[in-house]
Amino acid sequence: MVALVISLALFFDFTNGFHDTANAMATPIATGAIKPKTAVALAAVLNLVGAFLSTEVAKTVSGGIIKEGADGVQITPDIIFAGLMGAILWNMITWLKGLPSSSSHALFGGLIGAAIAGIGIHSINFESLLQKVILPAIFAPIIAGAVAYLCTRLAYALTSRHDPETGDKLTQKRGGFRTGQIFTSSLVALAHGTNDAQKTMGIITLVLISAGTQPAGSGPQLWVIACCAFAIAIGTYSGGWRIIRTMGSGLTEVKPAQGFAAESSTASAILASSHLGFALSTTQVASGSVIGSGMGRRGTTVRWGTAGRIAIGWLFTLPAAGIVGALTAMLVQTGVIGVIMAAVAGTAAVAYMFVHSRKSHVGHHNAVQIEEVGQAVQFRKKKSAARAIKDSAAAIKNGGAKR
Amino acid sequence: MKWLELLSVAGATLIAAMTVVVLYALGVRLTAIAGDIRNSPASWTRPLAYACFAVCGAAVLFGLYLIVPYFHK
Repeated sequence: MVALVISLALFFDFTNGFHDTANAMATPIATGAIKPKTAVALAAVLNLVGAFLSTEVAKTVSGGIIKEGADGVQITPDIIFAGLMGAILWNMITWLKGLPSSSSHALFGGLIGAAIAGIGIHSINFESLLQKVILPAIFAPIIAGAVAYLCTRLAYALTSRHDPETGDKLTQKRGGFRTGQIFTSSLVALAHGTNDAQKTMGIITLVLISAGTQPAGSGPQLWVIACCAFAIAIGTYSGGWRIIRTMGSGLTEVKPAQGFAAESSTASAILASSHLGFALSTTQVASGSVIGSGMGRRGTTVRWGTAGRIAIGWLFTLPAAGIVGALTAMLVQTGVIGVIMAAVAGTAAVAYMFVHSRKSHVGHHNAVQIEEVGQAVQFRKKKSAARAIKDSAAAIKNGGAKR
Repeated sequence: MKWLELLSVAGATLIAAMTVVVLYALGVRLTAIAGDIRNSPASWTRPLAYACFAVCGAAVLFGLYLIVPYFHK
């Protein structure tokens, strides 16, 4: 059982990696700041480094959502197994649909479902659930979206230039934002590595402690750190191209200044949340930023249909992963045969989704149509140029009013 | 509920992101001015642009400092 849980935890780490590549790398890929393959390689290396940097393991698996510890319930490897199963399946489904969704919320959902089925509803701390999952899910996109909106407006207002006499557009060099994007998105990738690989390390270490192969209160062993780091890095490198496509071009068209504003907001929000004590999900912050920056640039539209689908995905994360977790927990309780059945069914489901995904392959070559491709079309270029002139004229008017 | 923490996270996000974006955008604008061919630009524009980028670089380093736990223990 311990070996099974560890391998499942590593696979969860892998899905976490490829699910969250988009958070850091979707916008730089969309603006052409970094080539798709280079971007995922960079993200993978940063995740690997990040995983080794931070090895302080959490005291609890669920971060207080399940009443664990001395005066609470004992989380057994069975429940962790069931929770991981729910989280992995939900990660695979959302990946297939190209929806960015929070991997940690999926894990919470799976664990909650497993705990309710395996122990009972009294094992759940609902106040902690509200504070750690539900409220952040509402506020993360709002905060990030509002900040990204303001930043995008500022970036465009500050860089728009006109000849004072003729009113002609002068060179704006907004492509310069691409260089900045490399740095901001790298920060996001590194922060992801330090946060998320650590979660899996924590799970494996807690399982090892409960199995008695490791003294209580000790840190993760080196092989655990290395395995988790490589699992998340390989996951990141394999790139969740479907989610990158949604984030990079599905929500809104991303230009360099906009991408830079979105990435800066994401990086600031993640760093602020991890240091000021209100945890926000990286995925939700990043999605909010992209939407906000799309609203901030005139002439772009945000595809609210896609945004709505993502929001529905977030709504279902907890219950869907929870149901799978609960079903798995019930199967596992029946004994060894149940465990085998659950493992086989889970593997089959993952394999089916993988095969299904091959039917409409999305890879680095077609994930995002980069700007140059769009500009090659003649009429579109003229239209966007006209739009840009109108935009900057309006921006100057605004700027003048402010001054 | 941790409303105060939520507010401080929102505020810190806003200030940090705005600072970086404003500085970087100024840097981009100054680079564009310095690169003008028609009306010869003032000589201080390019150094100032680099200064803006340098402060942004410092912000990135501060982000690194925050991410790596080794630095603040």
